Amino acid sequence: MSLPDPQFNALGELHHFIDIDGLDKSLLTQILDTAEGFAGVNDRTIKKVPLLRGKTVANLFFENSTRTRTAFELAAIRLSADILNVDLVTSSTKKGESLLDTLHVLEALQCDMFVVRHGDSGAAHFIARHVSPSINIINGGDGQHSHPTQGMLDMFTIRRHKGDFSNLCVVIIGDIRHSRVARSDISALVKLGAGEVRVVGPRTLIPADVESLGVTIYPTLEKALIGADVIMGLRLQKERMATATVPSSGEFYRTYGLTPARLALAKPDALIMHPGPTNRGVEIAGSVADGKQSVILEQVTYGIAVRMAIMSIVMGNATNLRRAQS
Amino acid sequence: MTISIDNIVTVRRVKLLDNDAEHSIIIRDGIIESIQPDSQAADESDSVVIDAQNQYAVPGLCDLYARLREPGLTRKGSIASESHAALAAGFTKVLCSPDTQPAIDSVATVQLIRQRAEAAQGAHILPIAALTVGLAGEQLSELATLQAAGCPAASQADIPLSNTNVLFSAMEYAASFSLPLFMTARDSQLGAGGCAHAGAMATRLGLPGIPVAAETVALARLLEVCRETDCRLHISRVSSARALHMISAAKLASLPVTCDVGLHHLFFTDDQLAGYDASFNSEVPFRSIADRDALRQGLYDGTIDAICTDHAPHDRDASLAPFPATEPGLAAYHWALPLILQLPELVGLSLRDVFDKLSSAPKSIIDGSLSSGLEVGKAAEFFLLSKESPVAAMEASLESAGTNHPLNVHGAEALGLKPLLGKASHAFLHARLHTL
Repeated sequence: MSLPDPQFNALGELHHFIDIDGLDKSLLTQILDTAEGFAGVNDRTIKKVPLLRGKTVANLFFENSTRTRTAFELAAIRLSADILNVDLVTSSTKKGESLLDTLHVLEALQCDMFVVRHGDSGAAHFIARHVSPSINIINGGDGQHSHPTQGMLDMFTIRRHKGDFSNLCVVIIGDIRHSRVARSDISALVKLGAGEVRVVGPRTLIPADVESLGVTIYPTLEKALIGADVIMGLRLQKERMATATVPSSGEFYRTYGLTPARLALAKPDALIMHPGPTNRGVEIAGSVADGKQSVILEQVTYGIAVRMAIMSIVMGNATNLRRAQS
Repeated sequence: MTISIDNIVTVRRVKLLDNDAEHSIIIRDGIIESIQPDSQAADESDSVVIDAQNQYAVPGLCDLYARLREPGLTRKGSIASESHAALAAGFTKVLCSPDTQPAIDSVATVQLIRQRAEAAQGAHILPIAALTVGLAGEQLSELATLQAAGCPAASQADIPLSNTNVLFSAMEYAASFSLPLFMTARDSQLGAGGCAHAGAMATRLGLPGIPVAAETVALARLLEVCRETDCRLHISRVSSARALHMISAAKLASLPVTCDVGLHHLFFTDDQLAGYDASFNSEVPFRSIADRDALRQGLYDGTIDAICTDHAPHDRDASLAPFPATEPGLAAYHWALPLILQLPELVGLSLRDVFDKLSSAPKSIIDGSLSSGLEVGKAAEFFLLSKESPVAAMEASLESAGTNHPLNVHGAEALGLKPLLGKASHAFLHARLHTL
């Protein structure tokens, strides 16, 4: 009925990594297992493996980003790839060039992999469908849709601490509606068989029919936190106040802020996660963000290994495909 | 090929929608002289004869809403290209949307469209007047003048009217001249920036949603102003079950309200957006299965008076972008007849009743005195339909605009449809015989 999933190549292997929604549990597990192998690389004296030597990775960021772009850059460097940062926020697109034309120009520069971030949901799908088959696409975030590397690094962090997903109760707090991180986390958690995924926030921040994604809506944060193993915060963007979605950051904190008192309702070993940047005193109390249950900085560190895993799997599949075709 | 009928054309062995016996239709100087059983007919010596065995004579269809893209957007289509596409789909009358550039807010633009339509010799084009100047929602267009120039209705096209004062005034003013208003129920703010029905699929894809309330809130306002002004109100392109309930109640309360549904809304739902399929991007969004089924029921029970095509041809570039940046709309005509022919089974109406929703019903909405086009003594305005002729997908090419339709991307079976059959072979209009 629908268009074919552009993520897979002719051999049925992962060719582009753009959306967790289309992937199965075994592939997600393979990514996590591969990332375990790379996690050690970061601790070595020489933090490099030669897997992508001679390959060129281009970061195509149509939206501002520092941490995601840097993490991809480091992942590429540690895989020995050459890395090119293309700032598209202030570039050709502002001059009226269409996305497709920009893409074709960058294709002509003969890179091997594009890491793409774009403000439109579905942009990574669109690019994957139109890019030359010799280029692999990694989605660095598309609109409100998907941020799959963030989703995978969150899963990696959870697995490292909790081992198995099946008995976990995960609570996601705040702006689910506008969050690509939330969608990728939900998708990954459901596929990996998490026991329960709860979402909580004012109804203005909960998207229509969200239960269809496999989550349960909780009316209050207090109720949602009871029995929680993992608590994930999300960034509340300032523009939500301007669009009458939330009255003020103060009221948000009073009703949905993760405070020490609320945290006490969760299991004593509950993990505190946040994709960053955190707004202290809006989504989370500073003491909670810095507390011993917080793994927020670990997430950042693991992001490198997880992105190395994804890039190397995709690039390895591209090599397999070339061999099969030649 | 088009020839003028300056003498006699005889259509032999043709079936009628309500009578499967073979008939003979004689047209003299563009006027239908007789419709009688074929066995009783004798060929006139100087007659052009069309053997229409296994074909049906169908009254010319009337499309209440289509975009021809001219003036101003001719990279997407032209009056000539779209009026011929319409005719090839059996549409002899087309009401064209005022969202051209410039908008149809002056007699000059009306005349330009009419002249080009006459020169093109395709379907008969009736321009819908822009309700407000430039469709900007502020100053009323010269509605009486535009009506006198040939506009059968006025509309805001797809641009919601945010100012209720202007709406109230527009409806009072239009009522003075018995000018029907074609209004699409869409709130100017709620769901603004949305590009998909606010439901599970939009949530999954992270697409900004258009809630059903964006339709019903606007509809409530339209119906209440209609109640007070007694303006003839036609709700163009209903999309949800809840909106239908409101229209049904308004009709029970004897408000002067009619409505239509876009042809594709009887088939497609938001499920089809999976994978960001931009061929299903529609300004009036495809909603849930329950909404689609309610629209079918509304067509069956008469709450929905008519079907329009909502034809929206685009150039190729319009869909070469991430989904939210693609331009909404489906180019309807190429696939219209095969889809229409599947409706009897899906809706539970006879083929004749389905065609009534596309011919007599829309004609009576714009002008109660219009003939069906297939009546003895009246001008011939009908087409010959081959129900079993297969239709091939349009080839996408840089030269041919308007291939934006899901059936040019997917096969019928993939969309849950039966094989797509049905073509018009000839059309009679304006004392001309068109071989299609």
